[in-house]
Amino acid sequence: VKSTLASELNVSGATRYLDDLPESAGMLYGIPCVSPCAHGRLKSIDASAALALDPSVRVLTAADIPGVNQLGEAVPDESLLVEEEWSYKGESVALVLASGASLARRAASLVKLDYEELKAVTDPREAAALGTFILPSRTMSMGEASAAFSRCAIVVEGRVDSGGQEHVYLETQGAIAEPREGGRVFVLSGTQAPTGVQRAVARVLGIGQHDVEVETRRLGGGFGGKEDQAAQWAGLAALGAACTGKSVKVYLKRREDMSWTGKRHPYSSDYKLGLDAEGRILAYEADYYQNSGACCDLSPAILSRTLFHAGSAYRVPNLRVTGYMCRTNLPPFTAFRGFGAPQGVFVMECALDAAAAKGGWDPVELRRNNLLADGDSFHFGQSVTDCHAAKSVDRLLELSRWKELRAEIESFNASHRLEKRGAAILPICFGVSFTKLVMNQGGALVHVYADGSVSVSTGAVEMGQQVSRKIQVVVAKAFGIAEESVRIESTSTATVANTYPTAASTGSDINGMAALAACEEIRGRLLGLAARLLGAEKGELRIEAGLVAKGCEVTELTWKELVDRAHLDRIDLSAHGFYATPGLSYDMKAERGSPFAYHVYGCAAVSATLDVLRGTYRFDEAYIVHDVGESIDTAVDLGQAEGAFAQGLGWSCLEDLRYDESGRLLSDTLSTYKLPDIRFMPPKLVVEFLADAPNAKAVMRSKAIGEPPFLYGIAGYFAVLDALRAARLAAGKDAPLLHDIPMTPEKALDYIQGVRP
Amino acid sequence: MTRTLRFLVNETPVSTKAWALAPALDFIRRDLGLTGTKEGCREGDCGACAVILGERRAGTFSYKAVPSCLLVLGELEGRHLVTIEGLSSAKLTPVMRAIAEANGSQCGFCSPGFVISLTAYLMNPSPLSVEGAISAVEGNLCRCTGYASIKRAAARLVEEFRDLPLESFARLDALVKAGVVSASCLAFARGELLPDAVGGAQEEPEAPGLPRGRELKLGGGSDYLVRNPEPDGAVIDSFALLDRDPSLRLVRREGEVLAIGAALNWREFFSNADVLKLIPGIAGFEACLASPLVRERATLGGNIANASPVGDLTSMLIALGAMLRLEGAGETRELALEAFFLGYKKIDLKPGEFISTILLPASRPFALFNFEKVSKRERLDIAVVNSAASFEIEGEAGRMRVIRARISAGGVAPIPLLLAKTQAYLEGKSIGPDTALEAARIAASEAAPISDVRGSADYRRRLLERLVLAHFVRLFPGLGIEEAIA
Repeated sequence: VKSTLASELNVSGATRYLDDLPESAGMLYGIPCVSPCAHGRLKSIDASAALALDPSVRVLTAADIPGVNQLGEAVPDESLLVEEEWSYKGESVALVLASGASLARRAASLVKLDYEELKAVTDPREAAALGTFILPSRTMSMGEASAAFSRCAIVVEGRVDSGGQEHVYLETQGAIAEPREGGRVFVLSGTQAPTGVQRAVARVLGIGQHDVEVETRRLGGGFGGKEDQAAQWAGLAALGAACTGKSVKVYLKRREDMSWTGKRHPYSSDYKLGLDAEGRILAYEADYYQNSGACCDLSPAILSRTLFHAGSAYRVPNLRVTGYMCRTNLPPFTAFRGFGAPQGVFVMECALDAAAAKGGWDPVELRRNNLLADGDSFHFGQSVTDCHAAKSVDRLLELSRWKELRAEIESFNASHRLEKRGAAILPICFGVSFTKLVMNQGGALVHVYADGSVSVSTGAVEMGQQVSRKIQVVVAKAFGIAEESVRIESTSTATVANTYPTAASTGSDINGMAALAACEEIRGRLLGLAARLLGAEKGELRIEAGLVAKGCEVTELTWKELVDRAHLDRIDLSAHGFYATPGLSYDMKAERGSPFAYHVYGCAAVSATLDVLRGTYRFDEAYIVHDVGESIDTAVDLGQAEGAFAQGLGWSCLEDLRYDESGRLLSDTLSTYKLPDIRFMPPKLVVEFLADAPNAKAVMRSKAIGEPPFLYGIAGYFAVLDALRAARLAAGKDAPLLHDIPMTPEKALDYIQGVRP
Repeated sequence: MTRTLRFLVNETPVSTKAWALAPALDFIRRDLGLTGTKEGCREGDCGACAVILGERRAGTFSYKAVPSCLLVLGELEGRHLVTIEGLSSAKLTPVMRAIAEANGSQCGFCSPGFVISLTAYLMNPSPLSVEGAISAVEGNLCRCTGYASIKRAAARLVEEFRDLPLESFARLDALVKAGVVSASCLAFARGELLPDAVGGAQEEPEAPGLPRGRELKLGGGSDYLVRNPEPDGAVIDSFALLDRDPSLRLVRREGEVLAIGAALNWREFFSNADVLKLIPGIAGFEACLASPLVRERATLGGNIANASPVGDLTSMLIALGAMLRLEGAGETRELALEAFFLGYKKIDLKPGEFISTILLPASRPFALFNFEKVSKRERLDIAVVNSAASFEIEGEAGRMRVIRARISAGGVAPIPLLLAKTQAYLEGKSIGPDTALEAARIAASEAAPISDVRGSADYRRRLLERLVLAHFVRLFPGLGIEEAIA
């Protein structure tokens, strides 16, 4: 595989991230003084000791905010700086500025807060019992679930828990704000949502969006963590710049980032699943208690995705699911790859796990027999079309040699006492589009320079998902020129306006389409000129490999000559493109509509070996069959599938986000919060893209890739559980349910020893 | 008190009056402006800040990858610091190309660290293997790729460089010719680029390397910098870097004991021929400890002085019956390692004293040694509970009797424990299922753990019981112990 320029810069250390940029003379460093407990009422701030430390120290409070002290968009419940009350530990109370980063931190530690500590709630069910919600609950239903249970041969009920997940983007959060003449401000922000940051900064400073320019070069990882929560740091930097007239940099240390920013939502859920005697799902009910944290953030949208994915890849004729956004005194939980879907899918998989155990069904057969198919309907009314669920599962069973694998496992388990193997499969069905209609739009600005090289700006933020690479391919193909001639620019609100976050896996779908629209326009103008020059019909011309071709013949007119000639002829070589995903509609009142442009399917199988003596386990093999439509770049899609799987495996098995009862984060460093390392991943990982599955509904017949493969990690959880059960059964003991992510070695040993939580 | 530090950075000699206790990472990024080295966690857990450190000693040289966040600047004195920028002047090195072409770099933030670790792996004069290359990046975290593409890149490199010479100069020469590293490495290795500097980052010590007075003494500094990520020069009058004193890195026989310099780092310890001869069973357990990057900085003495209740190496050394030799406060004294720990993070060290030597009984090899550790993640993680065991046995298979056993336990008390009651019970017992089960039960009763982020007290107690059983299962297979475990 040829390397890309971006990769070459990365591996040689030449890529510059926020903290690598040269700093302007006189720059100030900002760091917030944060709330010391999870819930408190602020009485006063004493900054005298901080100010006495160094003449460069400034301490800004909510009173210094010229505009509106508000970051919350969906619900105005998140201030930039605390005014009277804080609702989580680590909330920004004052902004401390100084001429050096260490100095600013020392000064911040000297700011004294006089406060009254209030009662903190950290458990979502406790918040629900208190009636403390972000917004009213939301319910989706189809058929008559409660009535259908009476017709079921088997009904299982239970509770499912899943923990949060720290993003651990390797580059921590930050922003640099520079004051510009005329009260304007320029912000270099580590965000997935430059426009969101622009709106927040404009609101906080009380100026128009046209006075705020936000640029994002590239991120050292985002995964959702910089979608909504980058605004805090950009807002602080901009406030500092506006108040001091100097450039201000806010860049978090790892522990600060881990302690102060939101993560994946922990959920606690109850389910009830009913099946007929043949193991067909008849009814499903679930209540999801989402731990939303202290502020709204993106919780409603995340909850909606949980509800939309309640049935996962299965046909559920009668369904009723309700989600509660429980307000707790923890940092606001936020977007993270999968965006609520993994939590909902896990509940359904646990319900099926319980059903298989109770009904004595083979777990794979049970799943295979209940897969969605064309002609079915999702519980929100959208028709199931172009469904590849069964195709994916069948191919996966072949690829993984599932029957042989199971037989190997049985024979291994029969001959090993202190080691047991286990395996599980997991089919997926993931809806692509922002579930909020308005967000499904994007713009692009394409310039063809007179020398034939091309500059492309879109709303997409490059954060390692290689969306730039995909857009580069789209543009190069559209113009029929070499990829090296196409440069993807950094993302700026001054270039492409009113964009939505690079999120929901839609980055290349929306921005690729917008770029394509701009290219089509320029190409049309150029081919019009070529037609005149060659005396041909415009319709019979195209550009290929840098040359104008007519029918099957290549002419001598090169791209460069054509562009040069167009410029001399005063033809516009720039165009703006726009794309709004078609066919989307949703009625929030009726909870009916077609919120997704299409769905992504696939299936994974994971096997694991359990050390029964020590309660530890290793993954052995993983197989993934994944539906990417027609891949724009298979190397990029492979990287996304493998990487998302790793994060999913980390979430479901390893990553143990812990808060104590007072709301203090215990796993606040990389020595206490472990994410997958190279040895955690199965030595054998085979990813195959589903063949013959073009997608008419996205750019170049591709499919979105970012989030769906995250779900495959859940198969790892059930593989370990399978091995745990084998250990219990071999010892002549019962094999109860264990539905509590993550699968820590502690839980595994508890299970082996029959210790109930 | 500042003196000039001189060292080589990539191809350029550098001299600086910067404070010698500052993390090298900050100097590299801020003072040198070499921003290819990234700050990811500042505690040695991610590898984004990895650099290669070259050292010349006694006519030989070594180049090792280390985390620059756990490297105090004074350690650079007389050495060759190679950053990502210094690997190649313009084009991509083969290591960079392998990763880029395997699409092993997504967001890119971790990529320089992976390149550094794999480059250092190639420089290490040992035969290459894919497993070895993967082990070399065990201390590098990547959040994007899931590591599959990095494994592909590693496999390609191993294939590409399988014919590298094993002799260190010839190997370096080959790597320079292949464009893996710059010619400055060879020049440094040959002593052409920078003259040997005298060890010690402080003012010239009266006795070379030996610390004096009431100063801060660092082993490798890896724990120190984790606890003091931005050391404050105002509060420390003077300090010594023990690992700059070659005499504290020696391993030698002193009659019936093996005397191991306390500043020996973990990689050196686990690859030392005398150590492996004395404790054959210890081979391979280094993989349970930290990461290759950290093992290069962590010293034996440092792990002991840090007094973590769950220090892995401390646990091993206790089971081996290690004694400590303490020097620096006038009289040299020796005491049993387990007696050194007085309470949580409280140690029996007088002002001015430091651990100079670890003494292992060496009248005969440790025939039966085992180490057990459970952590949330298998590699580069702090143990929930660890335990080491060494047995002296008489009698033949089937009728084995314990002459003496030493069993340690970490993570189950405020200090690393020697399980005295368990040992006393075991003395003279014949080895079999009943003995193993009873020993494990007693061990669990000796534990007094607390609950924290790594595990509950109850779990720790049960885990210790299982790990003591694991010692028996590993060391005494075929005696029916495995079958007796519920």
